[in-house]
Amino acid sequence: MDLNTDAIAISDLHKYYGRFHALQGINLTIRKGEKVVVCGPSGSGKSTLIRCINQLEEHDAGDIRVFGTLLDDNVGSIDEIRREVGMVFQHFNLFPHMTVLENCTLAPTLVRKISRAEAEKTAMRFLEKVRIPDQAHKFPGQLSGGQQQRVAIARALCMQPHILLFDEPTSALDPEMIAEVLDVMVSLATEGMTMVCVTHEMGFARKVADRVIFMDKGEIVEEAPPEEFFSAPKNERSKLFLAQVLGH
Amino acid sequence: MDRASFWRSKTIRDGVLQAAFLAALIGLVLTAVLTARANLAAQGLTSGFDFLWKSTGWEMNFTLLHSERDDPYWYFLLLGLMNTLFMGTIGLAGASVIGLVVGLMRSGRNPAARLLGTLYIELFRNLPLIVQLFFWYALANALPNPRQAIEFAGAIISSRGIYVPGLTVTSGAVALAVAALLIGAALAIWIATARRFRRMERQRQRGAALMAFGLAALVAVIALVTGHDSTQPWTTFPAVDGLRVSGGFRIQPEFYCLAIAIMTYGGAYIGEIVRGGFKAVGRGQMEASRALGLSNWQVFTQVQMPLAFRAMLPILINQYVWLIKATTLGIAVGFSDFFMVIASSINHSGQTIEFISILVGGFLFINFSLAAILNRLNRAIALKGHQTGGAA
Amino acid sequence: MTLATDFRPRHSRLYRLRRAYFASPLTGLVTLLSVAILAWLAWIVLDWTVLQATFDADANQAICAERAGACWSVIANRWRIILFGLYPLDEQWRAGVACAVVALVIVLSCLPLMWRFSRLALVWVLGTAVFYTLMRGGIFGLVPVNEQQWGGLPLTLFIFVATGILGMPLAIGLALMRRSELPVIARVSGWIIDTIRSLPLLAILFTCAIVLPFMLPGFLIGEKLYRVIFGAALFFAAYQAEIIRGGFQGIPRGQEEAAKALGLGYWQRMGKVVLPQAFRLALPATINQFVIAFMETSLVVVVGFMELLAASNTAFRTGEWRFAYIEVYVFISAIYFAFVFGLSRYGAWLEARMSAGQRKD
Repeated sequence: MDLNTDAIAISDLHKYYGRFHALQGINLTIRKGEKVVVCGPSGSGKSTLIRCINQLEEHDAGDIRVFGTLLDDNVGSIDEIRREVGMVFQHFNLFPHMTVLENCTLAPTLVRKISRAEAEKTAMRFLEKVRIPDQAHKFPGQLSGGQQQRVAIARALCMQPHILLFDEPTSALDPEMIAEVLDVMVSLATEGMTMVCVTHEMGFARKVADRVIFMDKGEIVEEAPPEEFFSAPKNERSKLFLAQVLGH
Repeated sequence: MDRASFWRSKTIRDGVLQAAFLAALIGLVLTAVLTARANLAAQGLTSGFDFLWKSTGWEMNFTLLHSERDDPYWYFLLLGLMNTLFMGTIGLAGASVIGLVVGLMRSGRNPAARLLGTLYIELFRNLPLIVQLFFWYALANALPNPRQAIEFAGAIISSRGIYVPGLTVTSGAVALAVAALLIGAALAIWIATARRFRRMERQRQRGAALMAFGLAALVAVIALVTGHDSTQPWTTFPAVDGLRVSGGFRIQPEFYCLAIAIMTYGGAYIGEIVRGGFKAVGRGQMEASRALGLSNWQVFTQVQMPLAFRAMLPILINQYVWLIKATTLGIAVGFSDFFMVIASSINHSGQTIEFISILVGGFLFINFSLAAILNRLNRAIALKGHQTGGAA
Repeated sequence: MTLATDFRPRHSRLYRLRRAYFASPLTGLVTLLSVAILAWLAWIVLDWTVLQATFDADANQAICAERAGACWSVIANRWRIILFGLYPLDEQWRAGVACAVVALVIVLSCLPLMWRFSRLALVWVLGTAVFYTLMRGGIFGLVPVNEQQWGGLPLTLFIFVATGILGMPLAIGLALMRRSELPVIARVSGWIIDTIRSLPLLAILFTCAIVLPFMLPGFLIGEKLYRVIFGAALFFAAYQAEIIRGGFQGIPRGQEEAAKALGLGYWQRMGKVVLPQAFRLALPATINQFVIAFMETSLVVVVGFMELLAASNTAFRTGEWRFAYIEVYVFISAIYFAFVFGLSRYGAWLEARMSAGQRKD
């Protein structure tokens, strides 16, 4: 693993679900510290793409390199990459049988072999960062959706990853809770974290993204800086999509 | 108030209905008790529980403590209750282990193992338990007689039973040692999993759990040493001695056949419960733990197993109660469990009402205490708060 | 849409095979072990039941002993005892027809077309009546056969059907009583249900068969068979009542309120609105309970009835077939298995169909 190369380099990536061709030759390079927003209609393959990066989905052809490490059959490379790549899910996926603090310390103590005391200190630091240190000893089921998603972000941060993947982090939330999660994501972005976000929050994309990637039917259709993408989309499909999402 | 409006009043109608219901029930019970008394009196017997101190005059073929022909009824009932609990513990433990293995085979991704698990479950779950028990018992009785017994790993297997090497210690000492080990194991599991110890460093937590079990093992060894008769050698090995087997420790066919039947049958049912439990674990939780870099084993022990166990426990409680009741099948092959002692006592003493009430009381006690303990455990580990986005 | 022309699958068939069966040393070991056990079992079963078996009906122990496999001659010689017990030889066609009638009743009840209370009740009552007439005789020129001479499969089926036909109304009654608005009735029937459920069926059968005569006035004692059936029905009812109660709990509150608001009386509400929905929800569990009830008919062997299991015990325990116990148990196991497996598959299919229907709603 070499932190001086590109964070993620994907070339000619293919993924099939049975006979359905979900990813049809994706080429994508993400530099270290870059913030990329992936958008597109549902079923366009955007979730599949980021789930291939930490191998929650196995790809069928093509290369994925994370900080230079090639993802292949080698179990070791998958473990290595998962340690360095954090992920935040649409449905939070917190462990309901553990307290917030235990959720945050589980992986650091088991995977990074950090002592519990140390891990708890780190966890509290990140819980403060997402502004819920007072909920540390509660269970996920006792928190609101927005709070749960912030815990999920803190849990991912506790592994001190170099890349964070967001898979529609706000789409399962009630409108009034979306802002609190986006605030946390914005502050992360300003601190230089490499972020890949699948989201429909166009305001967020405009504010923090270095690049917007528009996907449809398993392909990258358009790739542009946000100002350009929002003001002058080139492709017909992205125009249609923007019209639907932005409501004009 | 005229008649029509009297019957139209809801309060009065409800009261009369309930009173009639109660009266009918009480009438039924009274008839039974009075008839039974009259029948007893006709045979020159008195009702009441004085007979509990009379001697039985028959023998039990399987006891955990020493017993004789003229031990009183209460002692036999106690021994029978112990046998039921003993068989229940062994049966439940074995069934749980089999169920866990079969359930894991069925929920795994390996098609060969899945097929094997499915075959096991469909075979053992779809045949009546008593048919299986009779089959095992017929098989056990068809084993060669002691003279031609099979010797296997120091054990002698014959139609009279399986003779295994044993320690020459009193049964009380063995009971104490086993109890100590069980308590030790429970303590170790508690330390390793309870929330109270979650914040200890992992190594210290593991050390504490090991220490608890080690202490229990020490107590067990001390119990065994003090229960040993110093004039005899420590171990006893079975040996064929003419027409019979001498030495060793005899496991009766009645006992092991019932144990095997309960374990294999219960294992099939528990296997399905275990599979259901694993199916109930949300895919999201598994993905999250994998995304965090946990190894397969860590995902299994830290996330999958705890969540699956919570999902299966409520159904498991009913299954356990059912299996405990299945120990009464001992009467079909002659294992003297609580129910068989009651049945023989009724035949010998004629005290019907008394023994039936002891029977009902005994099973209410066993089942309610088992259910109470497990329900308490269930409440203690239940997931807190509202569950959202669990199964995705 | 562009199809990747240079698509080179990373996963060959061999790779997929390796992935499924030999992903790690542990799964590889599990695979090898499972395949070995499966092959070994398949070979043993095939070898014993067919390859090395003796099928000659006139064979005896000595002839069978020459081959290492099953001695199916025992079935050829003893099938009448196994299937019909001590039922008079000349009349056994009646027992056979009676079994067919019960099978027909069960198949009919599985057809969704029949799922009306009136139709089901008609089929079951009519079927039981035909069965009883055939078995008991005494009219239509049939020689009377006493219940004590019944045995084998017809007895097993009779106990099963009678348990269901008595137990189901009892279960509905208990379930309605438990959710009654009258506190005494609800409380007491709750106690009764819980107590019966915590007792072993065997203890209930034993009490009914052997102890009850001491506790009942003479005119209530009746035939032992019917006392035992009553006990089995009571036990069935206690479990089934809880299943129906589970069904009640699945019905939205609004349903009963709506029925009340429409001015329906108690029996109309229960009969037309609540019970049909509760039964629909409780159907998979109900079928499961019937499966268990069928398996539990074999417990009556303990109180001295010649049902299928006991009859097969006599088939090999007397005379020259003492050695052929495995064959006899395999034979009756096949009968039990066919019935139980068929019914539980049916239940699983129904459950899948119902949950698919619910998703559509």
